Amino acid sequence: MERPARPRPLRLIPALAAAHLRHEWILTLCLVIALAAVIAPLLVLLGLKHGTIETLRDRLVEDPMFRELRPAQTREYAPEWFARAAAWPGVGFLTPTVLPLSSVLQIPHPRRGGAELYDLVPTARGDPLLIENGAPVPGAGEVVLTTEAARRLEVSPGDTITARVTRSRGGRSEVAEAPLNIVAVLPPRAGTLARIYAPLDFVLDVEAYKEGYGAPSRGWAGASPEPFLSFDGVMLLLPEPLPPIERTGLIINTGFARIGELDPGGVEERLGLAAPDGWKGYDLETPGATVTLSAIRAVEQKLRGRERILMPYVTEVTWAGAGVHMHPVGISLEPADAARLGLPPLPWGGFAGRASEGRQWTRALANIDTSPVEVSVPGVVPVVFPLEIVGASPLARPVVPVELMGILRTAQQRAVEFDPASGGFLMLRGGYRGFRMYARSIDDVPGLYQRLTGEGIEVIAEVEAIERIQVLDAGLSRLFWLIALLGFSGGVAVLVASLYAAVERRRRDLGVLRLVGFARRHVFFFPVAQGMIIAGLGLGAGMVAYMGLAATINRAFADDLAPGEKFCTLPPEYVLTAVVATLLLAVLSSLAAAWRATHIDPAEAIREQ
Amino acid sequence: MTTDPVAPLALMQGASKRRAQGESVFELQVPDLRIAPGELVAVAGDSGCGKSTLLDMLALVMEPTRMERFEMRFDPDGAPVDVRSLWLSSGETALAALRRDYLGYVLQTGGLLPFLDVAANIGLPSRIKGLPEPGAALDALAERLGLAGCLRRMPDALSIGQRQRVAILRALMHQPRLVLADEPTAAVDKARAGRIMADFHALARERSVAVVVVTHDLDLVRSLADKTYGFLMERVSEHETRSLCFLET
Repeated sequence: MERPARPRPLRLIPALAAAHLRHEWILTLCLVIALAAVIAPLLVLLGLKHGTIETLRDRLVEDPMFRELRPAQTREYAPEWFARAAAWPGVGFLTPTVLPLSSVLQIPHPRRGGAELYDLVPTARGDPLLIENGAPVPGAGEVVLTTEAARRLEVSPGDTITARVTRSRGGRSEVAEAPLNIVAVLPPRAGTLARIYAPLDFVLDVEAYKEGYGAPSRGWAGASPEPFLSFDGVMLLLPEPLPPIERTGLIINTGFARIGELDPGGVEERLGLAAPDGWKGYDLETPGATVTLSAIRAVEQKLRGRERILMPYVTEVTWAGAGVHMHPVGISLEPADAARLGLPPLPWGGFAGRASEGRQWTRALANIDTSPVEVSVPGVVPVVFPLEIVGASPLARPVVPVELMGILRTAQQRAVEFDPASGGFLMLRGGYRGFRMYARSIDDVPGLYQRLTGEGIEVIAEVEAIERIQVLDAGLSRLFWLIALLGFSGGVAVLVASLYAAVERRRRDLGVLRLVGFARRHVFFFPVAQGMIIAGLGLGAGMVAYMGLAATINRAFADDLAPGEKFCTLPPEYVLTAVVATLLLAVLSSLAAAWRATHIDPAEAIREQ
Repeated sequence: MTTDPVAPLALMQGASKRRAQGESVFELQVPDLRIAPGELVAVAGDSGCGKSTLLDMLALVMEPTRMERFEMRFDPDGAPVDVRSLWLSSGETALAALRRDYLGYVLQTGGLLPFLDVAANIGLPSRIKGLPEPGAALDALAERLGLAGCLRRMPDALSIGQRQRVAILRALMHQPRLVLADEPTAAVDKARAGRIMADFHALARERSVAVVVVTHDLDLVRSLADKTYGFLMERVSEHETRSLCFLET
């Protein structure tokens, strides 16, 4: 017997459902209108909510100033902080800044002469203030001006201005200059102050010059930033004990917090040698803090005229060199004091208290055959330098200038590097005095504000304006969902009742469908398909009504809107969501009718009149 | 597989259907019912004797309360379909597939779907079965049954006689093996009923389709029927009636 090719009863259900709806077109039309009457106002409401909020948001978003978070206090931010903060979610742009006083430039008027002061602001790749205001990020030798700065200087893009940086050093006024090419002028909304945006390295060089340092790459003369000396404490050796009053005097207004007597073992531990016979040792220290040069000078002042040996010491600096681990001792003594301690004259002499004259400090007395020895000292960044061995050590440990130990101790807390050119040490930049941060979107501003204040950084941001919009958005959303819930409940009720009634009305027809070969599961989809068709038509009618109403609303408020802005608008994803939600609700609404359809007894239904 | 030339198309043995409505109970008993391929079987009896109940059981839309054997052999070369097992195993989808592929049904008032036109009504079983559209064959049959101008009309625009003819066409067009007709001419006058039955019988014979016609007017089918089943009713108690289906000789 010939078997049917490919029975596909389920595929016929939508067409049959549609034919049934078409046959009862008046009832169908009523249902579609009823649904459209629910859907259209909801779409308009959603469009109004979205359009209003988006218009307000766009007005904020379009202006990057609303995404800026400015530090309200000056403090130091380490490079590591910038690396960490740049990776925070929501950070769109972050660059260090310098002290406001260090970022003031004199710019002579190109034609009239006479210089005025301008704020110098660092910028970098991705700066939204520049990019979103149509300006390129300046490169080396380039700047971007605000409207006010360009107005005062009477310049425009393509012109060149001269930056003049001034400082006072050693009682003399010094000036450095650099030509700067103007690549763009920002529109007024980017700020009303006279500002000049330049690459960060130029701003840092200006800051360094103002602080007395040089910028060799720009030909600006000046000192190099040398590291300060720091010590763990100072050992005081005296031929006779110090009266209690004088002992106490040594920790008053000197920067030291404690003075203690040292037994011979304590001296040995700190210096690797014993105190002269009969001499008394004292240890001056400030637990938990660094001993600075000023504290040493203060004690020297108080011991003026008294026979003594005052020796700063560092205990914890060790290094690796020549394949061995070394624990050097820092000693700088005048030959007479060295002799008192049984030491030969030291090549570097007495305590100078300065980190400069570097080559003098990279010397050692050590029992090593080779010289120089490449030494690596752990620190904030490892300090690597060549150590010149100038003789054998008179002690069990290598002996180096205590100034070198002071520098290397500082290197435990601040970045220090060896400068081969000068043979000395340079203090690397420790941190920055501020930052310019822009959030990726205005929604990210409150979160970043919280995070920064959570880290103890006071910042200024347009949080209140943004939060007002967020509160408004949340309020309107709640209102919308409440109305939507009521509307959808009505729509669902209409669909459930109508589809269920349709099944009851068409029991006989559904019975006939079962009789001619449709199974229960096929008939189940008959009301479901009808629900989806009615919902689709209702949605289409609702969308047409929405578009008409939205156009009317936008026309009515056209005077209050900027070009491109709309009070009532729906993005495609909202429309898609509305379509999916409506069809989903239609399916859910038809389930009761579908269940009823499967429970119709065809034997009874086909004989009903 | 061996072919049994006398193997019935439908075989129902030891079947009964018990139905209750309020306090009244009705039981139809079918000791032995056989329908051979291509034959016309008349089922005649008074109102309420269980004719339609029997037809619904044969149409696989009503489950017998009890059945010893219920088979249908739609494929002469194949094994019979054990309908009893399908009912017992709740094989609703399989039963629907049997209705779709092998059965046709003509209701008292046609049973046409009011939302489909005549052509769509006639073609629906073929479409469900996955057969190609009847096309020219439908036009020829419509012409023969006097329905040539009616194919694009809706059922409510037809006369009762036309609807019955459309229903007969719908029942036959998808090449079933068995057509079940529940008083197909009850709503038309005797002369028209005779013509409808004659057309029905002729079409079924041409297609070797077995037909079971339920009627309370035995005269209408007496000359056409190969065999007739009747009913013997008895009142068992005040509220219970029993009807026994038997082969008239």
